[in-house]
Amino acid sequence: MNKTRAAALAALAVAAPLGLAACGGDDDGAVVLRYAFWDDNQRPAVEAMIAAFNETHPDIEVELEQNPWDDYWPGLDTQFAAEDAPDVFWDHVSRFPTFAANGVLLPLTDQIEESGLDTSIYPAALYDTWTFEGEQYGLPKDWDSIALVYRLDALEAAGVDPAEVQGLTWNPVDGGTYVELLQKLTLDANGDNALSPDFDSENIVQYGTAMGSSTGQTDWWNYGVQNGCALQTEPWGEYAIDAPECVEALQFTADLYNKWNVAVPAEVTNQPNGGPPADYVISGQAATALDGSWTLSAYRDGIDAGDWAVANLPTGPVGSGTVINGLSHAVYAGTEHPDEAWEFVEFLGSEEAQRIAAESGSVWPGVASLNGAFADYWAGEGIDVTGFQEAAEGTAIGYPLSMNDAAFGTAALDEFNQVWLGQKDAQAAAEAVVELANAE
Amino acid sequence: MLAPSLAGFALFLLTPIVVVVALSFFDWNFLSDPEFVGLDNYRELAGDERALQSIGNTFYYVLLNIPAQTVLALLLALALNAKIKARNTFRVLYVLPWMAMPVALGVIWRWLFDPVNGGLNKFLALFGIDGPSWLTDSAWAMPVIASVNVWQYTGYTMLFFLAGLQSIPTELYEAADVDGAAPAYRFFKITLPLLRPAMLFVLITSVIGSFQVFDTIHVMTAGGPDGATSTLNYQIFLESFTQRSAGYGSMLAVVLFAIIAAITLAQVVFFRKRTVYDFS
Repeated sequence: MNKTRAAALAALAVAAPLGLAACGGDDDGAVVLRYAFWDDNQRPAVEAMIAAFNETHPDIEVELEQNPWDDYWPGLDTQFAAEDAPDVFWDHVSRFPTFAANGVLLPLTDQIEESGLDTSIYPAALYDTWTFEGEQYGLPKDWDSIALVYRLDALEAAGVDPAEVQGLTWNPVDGGTYVELLQKLTLDANGDNALSPDFDSENIVQYGTAMGSSTGQTDWWNYGVQNGCALQTEPWGEYAIDAPECVEALQFTADLYNKWNVAVPAEVTNQPNGGPPADYVISGQAATALDGSWTLSAYRDGIDAGDWAVANLPTGPVGSGTVINGLSHAVYAGTEHPDEAWEFVEFLGSEEAQRIAAESGSVWPGVASLNGAFADYWAGEGIDVTGFQEAAEGTAIGYPLSMNDAAFGTAALDEFNQVWLGQKDAQAAAEAVVELANAE
Repeated sequence: MLAPSLAGFALFLLTPIVVVVALSFFDWNFLSDPEFVGLDNYRELAGDERALQSIGNTFYYVLLNIPAQTVLALLLALALNAKIKARNTFRVLYVLPWMAMPVALGVIWRWLFDPVNGGLNKFLALFGIDGPSWLTDSAWAMPVIASVNVWQYTGYTMLFFLAGLQSIPTELYEAADVDGAAPAYRFFKITLPLLRPAMLFVLITSVIGSFQVFDTIHVMTAGGPDGATSTLNYQIFLESFTQRSAGYGSMLAVVLFAIIAAITLAQVVFFRKRTVYDFS
């Protein structure tokens, strides 16, 4: 450690909680591992997996540290700076490049080799995401994609056959059958839909769709991928969302708000103030949403069984893919218990542990053979979730890998919120984002 | 007694200030070692539109906040210094907003200002008025934030004026009555000059607090739309903890500190020049 770092740490030592005790062992010799995560929906599955781990590892105590997404990352950053980070934590593709490049993650390549772990149980693309300069920095925890979630009761009321929802197409010119469906599902106070000549766009009581994503993952990225937009020049490359196919998708998204009037207004849903799309579908303000597989339990808990379902994403000019993503379990490079941390991560990556998450319908598992267990859980709830698997095929792309994710995220939120409000041109906004995000 | 409190001062105030000033000359992302960059962060500020905008936003906020809050607090203090019924109940009621948690209030105000489901626009709709999207309209967002904080801190500010009013000798008013002075004359020639110590205290503390506004913005707009409510203090947070530019954020903190120090100094100088009345 050099002097400047010591000086910087002096400041943080003042602010950082005095959690050093947690790094040491307990009096009875048990090792305490700190395990950090963010998603409250997944807490029951996380606790069940720890219980299963303790059956074979009674001498390792796992302490959970939960923070919501927005606080999780700044919290981890300061903990890294104070050299007092959790031993094991959830890692996200958007943060992984910076973490790996700055040496805060423990390379697991040797441990994986020594343990003889069969890494072919994970889809190769999912496993390779967590590779940086030849080293492996985590084992896949899960994968996720986007599908079309809709209210069956709204469809019935509009006289739409659910089979129609499976094969929707959109285009930037006339909107296609996708926009037509959303128009049928957008109703004014008199019950007239957006296709009716009597439609009153000033008094809409139900919208066709709800959007609202701080990254783009559940809104315009989908239309982007379906229109041939790759978001980046290549993984780890520059952001390239000013390409015509991307701008067209941005404009289509803005049109859903302002031209077709089929989306809950951006004044309401713009992040970070707006709720997640599920909120609007659950409350009945919207009839459909493109939403992530990790949000299914919110719909299950909010809408009566039989009143909602999942369908394939609409197909755009180029395809029907989405941006697929996944999380991993990472080990902190400064952990005092690298062996125990690896044992825990190895367990969390195992079929035994991921079966627990899959069978509770928590998330699509990282272990490929368990996808059926997740689908079975939801089939038992009356929900066919193959739409998420379909979306991950074909033209689907991986979550952008970049060192500049933070700059991109902030710029995109600022600029595109204005586009959704109809106050900024999509092309100008995309150019501004690219300039800011590629500047660093 | 002094030594222990001095240790606390050194550890919790002086050290962080020194470290922040030092960090402002570094590039640091929390994860790897800080890199010395000299004055680069300060030079970069000149071309950073968002940061310059946030400085402008800060002054705009202070101008919206301070005059309204100070005048309202003074009027309230005058009203509650008069002999009216249930005077103490009113005094407590007006101070209540200050006692509440800013974050909790922010959540409630955010709902009130929601363009579609919010209480305010539903109320306006009763009169056929189509209310704007308060928090997502860049023209409205800052005035809304400022008004929420005026509402929250007026009662608290009022307390200091009230204490000031009660320390003015009643003989002065009696003498003014004998001379047949009009109420306005009494206010401008007796009340206001004698409130100067209270005014100095109120202006210095509330201007400093106003320059440091954070919680209401964080909860209600997170600096949006398009940076319209990102004050300098909020920009420090965004740069440091969202963009991982701790050195650049520290530089902004130093700039904010310098602005506040300069304005406070100006206030002290301005008020010190004036006559001080001593009736003791």
